[in-house]
Amino acid sequence: MNGPAKQKSSFKNAVQAVKNYPVVLIFLGLLAIFSVLYSQQFLSPINLTATLRQFVTLMLFALGPSIVMVLGSMDLSFIGIWMLGSILLWLLSPIIGPVALLVIPILGVATGFIVGVIHTKGRIPSFILTLSLLITYWGLTVVLAGGYPRSIPGYGFITARLVPRVPTPFFLSIPIVLVAVFISLRTRLGVYFSAIGSNEEGARLAGIDVDKYKILAFTISGAFTGVGSVILFKHLGGSAAVEFNLNNVVRPLVAIILGGTPLVGGSGGPHRTILGVLTFAVLYRGLHLSPLRPELIDLVVGLVLIVSIILSSRGTRMRGVDVT
Amino acid sequence: MNERAGTPILNVRSVSKTFGGVVRALDDVSLEVYPNEIVGVVGENGAGKTTLMKILVGVYPPDQGEWAYRGVKVPFPKNPKEAARKGISIVYQEKGVVPSLRVHQFLFLGNEDRYVGRTGLQTDRIKAHAREILKELHVQCDVDDFMHELPLSTQKMVEIAKAILSVRVEQDDENTQSVIILDEPTAPLTIEERKELLDEISGMKENTSFIFVTHIMQEVMECMDRVVVLRDGKLVGHYDMATDQVTEEDLTRVIVGKEILEHQPGAVSATARNAGVVLEAEGLAKKGSYYDISFELHRGECLGLFGPAGSGKSELIRTLAGLDGFDRGTLSIMGKEAKNREPAHIRLSRGVGYFSGDTGNELLHDWSIAKNISILNIAKVIGKIFRIIRFNAEKRMAERIVERLRIRAPNVSTPVSALSGGSKQKVTVGKWFERSPQILLLEDPTIGIDVGSRQDIFATILDMKGRGISMILVSDDSREYSTLCDSIVLMRQGKVQEIISAERLKEVVEA
Amino acid sequence: MSDKAMNQRRFFPSLGRYATTSTIMPIVATVVVIVVFQILNPAFLSYQGIVTIAYSMSYFLIAACGLTLVIMMGSFDFSVVSVMKLAALLCVMYIGKLGLLVIPFALAICAAIGFVNGVLFAKLKVPSFMATLGISVVIDGIALVLSKGFLMMMNHPGFRSIAVTFILGMPSIFYWAIGTWILCTSIAVITPFGRRTYAIGGNPKAVAISGVNVARHRIVVFVLSSLLAGLAGVLYMSQLGGGSVKIGSDMMIPLFASVVAGGTSLKGGVGGPQRTLLGVIIITWIQSGLLMVGAGRDIQVVVLGIIAIIMTIATTERGKLMRTIVK
Repeated sequence: MNGPAKQKSSFKNAVQAVKNYPVVLIFLGLLAIFSVLYSQQFLSPINLTATLRQFVTLMLFALGPSIVMVLGSMDLSFIGIWMLGSILLWLLSPIIGPVALLVIPILGVATGFIVGVIHTKGRIPSFILTLSLLITYWGLTVVLAGGYPRSIPGYGFITARLVPRVPTPFFLSIPIVLVAVFISLRTRLGVYFSAIGSNEEGARLAGIDVDKYKILAFTISGAFTGVGSVILFKHLGGSAAVEFNLNNVVRPLVAIILGGTPLVGGSGGPHRTILGVLTFAVLYRGLHLSPLRPELIDLVVGLVLIVSIILSSRGTRMRGVDVT
Repeated sequence: MNERAGTPILNVRSVSKTFGGVVRALDDVSLEVYPNEIVGVVGENGAGKTTLMKILVGVYPPDQGEWAYRGVKVPFPKNPKEAARKGISIVYQEKGVVPSLRVHQFLFLGNEDRYVGRTGLQTDRIKAHAREILKELHVQCDVDDFMHELPLSTQKMVEIAKAILSVRVEQDDENTQSVIILDEPTAPLTIEERKELLDEISGMKENTSFIFVTHIMQEVMECMDRVVVLRDGKLVGHYDMATDQVTEEDLTRVIVGKEILEHQPGAVSATARNAGVVLEAEGLAKKGSYYDISFELHRGECLGLFGPAGSGKSELIRTLAGLDGFDRGTLSIMGKEAKNREPAHIRLSRGVGYFSGDTGNELLHDWSIAKNISILNIAKVIGKIFRIIRFNAEKRMAERIVERLRIRAPNVSTPVSALSGGSKQKVTVGKWFERSPQILLLEDPTIGIDVGSRQDIFATILDMKGRGISMILVSDDSREYSTLCDSIVLMRQGKVQEIISAERLKEVVEA
Repeated sequence: MSDKAMNQRRFFPSLGRYATTSTIMPIVATVVVIVVFQILNPAFLSYQGIVTIAYSMSYFLIAACGLTLVIMMGSFDFSVVSVMKLAALLCVMYIGKLGLLVIPFALAICAAIGFVNGVLFAKLKVPSFMATLGISVVIDGIALVLSKGFLMMMNHPGFRSIAVTFILGMPSIFYWAIGTWILCTSIAVITPFGRRTYAIGGNPKAVAISGVNVARHRIVVFVLSSLLAGLAGVLYMSQLGGGSVKIGSDMMIPLFASVVAGGTSLKGGVGGPQRTLLGVIIITWIQSGLLMVGAGRDIQVVVLGIIAIIMTIATTERGKLMRTIVK
């Protein structure tokens, strides 16, 4: 074809890759710093296990929202689906047995669908909508739980140790993550989501039914969160929680933004979020090994959030778009 | 070369369309497109060009009309996909590009059906086909490039390729000729990019026909095989550019209507030339928009920046308003030099107001007439001691304006969203009348509104001029220049050609 | 005022005309709520009942007024609750060292936080909900660090008297709240500043051309919001007199629900503190009422979440959301 010859050396490819994924630098940098500072504890097998555990938790929470963020929207309902799903499992498990596990993905899909419809047809900003939903689900959880966290017996196969040092949920989560990455990179859906996030009007002009795909995105997000929660409830201790912790909401968001998915969407997705989660997990573990008090660590996480948002909003600033 | 033998690909006849039972957008318009040609469609804003194009691609149906595709009568398309099946597709003026996608993804956006396999999108096949079409159309880019990385003219070329693709996808025969509508494709481009794009498009004539909607006379003269002129919804002229000896001035006259160019006496302010200079531009330049602009604005004078689209006049007036910056040169307002990047509110404090006919950007729709007027004139309605808003004063101010401009509304508490287009425009003019800045920049002040409102607005603007307010006008409507301006800066391709007095406008345009 | 006149003229409700819905609905809702709960619990409208409600409503109203200003402007302030908590904490911790000076001290810090919010949003172009969310996380962290191990008691009668002095049968915090509400409503309705705030919410581009320094105005509004949140926190602590600060981030929903329930639309440009009073009444009455009939915190939250969603839908005029960022 006409055009400049594209014979890139592999070095140039590597440089290009790093430029596209700056978080890799941060990740490697953190690895280096913590390995040097706390080499004994950081590089220990215990820490590896802990990091992987953290990775699984964050990854499964962040997966759904990272798809929605490509669209330029926000999905905060994931914690709600996890909490409500867990308590429903506790309720239904004694009645219908292991089949009760299906309740959680069903809840996720239904939630995502409803959110999608209300968002597109009712024109409610996704942030407020999913936040309200999250709080509502939390309330419902507390009601159903009678106010106390409930332990869910059984389902030990989810966490039964197969490989030493590596939590089984890590293996279980791999296919889920791969499906998400597949959708994002190799299907029409992924392209359409990026298009809508990048220029909704342009996507519409190209004949894309924007409303339909938005609803689809939220539904898929709910589905992933639902399926992920099946693993998570056991991974996090085999119980249904009733405590609302803002950190659970914030940390996956930090991971997504760190990974390089812009707040306003248009690019990025699960494949980038993997890197973001990894980096965050390393950061978190490293901070824990440091003499910082736990409260200070949360503070640092908040600061990281702000800094990464400022950096990621650079694109919006340059485009001169008016922000609300 | 210009035989019109053979059947036209596209033949629409007697198309009419009325909106809301009142606005006659199109009245018995007919159009043919033959293979291997570029047909220009020209006309002022509101002439009906966009409506016609939207009907052709199926955005909405006409009230009347017939369509023949390759000689066979067919119904009008009901949506863009059907239009593609009838061989016609459009490249929109703006917002058609999705910046974050790669070229191959964008090219096939919406048309991936044939490329879905069991393992997802068959990206290799897509890229291969993408390369083919880019090669065929001589587009200089790689299929893996991101759209936002490409220069604007290349982006447009990719958009054209996409339009051609979307037609081919719907046809069974790969060799069918498409008709691609280009809606002012060179509008966002710089002068150099424009030339490149036009060359490329001319080169594509062998396989594709184009309907080229434009304002830029130069493009019409250089590229088109045939030209069709619309005015006020009617077809007022069509010419074969090779055989008919038609000049730019002939066309302009047909587009505008000859009588309009008569300069209205009495609009000239006799003292204009001797009054003090309120604004002076020297060597102003902004890369890609305008170069070496120098002129003076005197008190009580109305200066028109006149030129076809692409002349840089819109960018220039926006720079003067503080909405954009400039790269070189100096600008002095009321004797003081203005910085090259100043936000609008600071320009206003220097005495420069800006008024755009695009009422979407000017008014607060849910607010009442009174509030819209007072937001700009708040100092006049607040109390002396307590600086709070006095509603009576606000109401009276608005009532004065409503009366002066003959705004049709039940009362001043009516929300402006309930007003007609002309009345909305009057509210905007009214608020600036009340504000009376020393310098008022007007962009398209009477765009798309009815004749009666237009007259009322002209009267008010002339009134302001009489009070000593200096103005600069940019418009696509020649009537405004001849009615309002004292002097005119003729611009072309970003440069000042000449500064003339308004009486000479008719001569210059016709010469 | 002219808008209200217009609303009354369009009394016949057509679904979706937010002007009618958001004026009539809050009034109707208030009446319904009062009647229902009075029936369920006769002690509802007793003197004790009213005082209790005043205690729970007053600091809430003050914070809601601040949030209303931000929402009127078309933005969002998620940090209101965290700032409240911080202000309350600062009072308890430093009253020993600073005496009553702790109040301006806490308020100054709150104003600074508001300033940071404003800069992040107006200058660095971070979407407001994200910026304030991040800030709230940081503040929560700081609050946690500061309060570690402290179970604070306060022994400063002067400080307590700010909120708890009884005048004409009502605690002084009630008058603080009403006074703040009157002030905010006045600002919104009859000052140029208020007009500009609405205007930015309605059409930021038109306002810029009208000579308003939009960025600076936005920052000021965020400072106000945080200041009022701080005031709410100070008064809350004065009312409480010590102990653990029971403000959690889940308070964000009732707060937001009150603003929206009153009829201030998320898209900005409409509503205002005058409406928020009604919204706060509805929400706090529902909360207290639910408590009195024995419903736990959890059900309250569910109910409020649903209300928030419904009211947002009702007040968002279809097809007119002008934000480019919100998708």
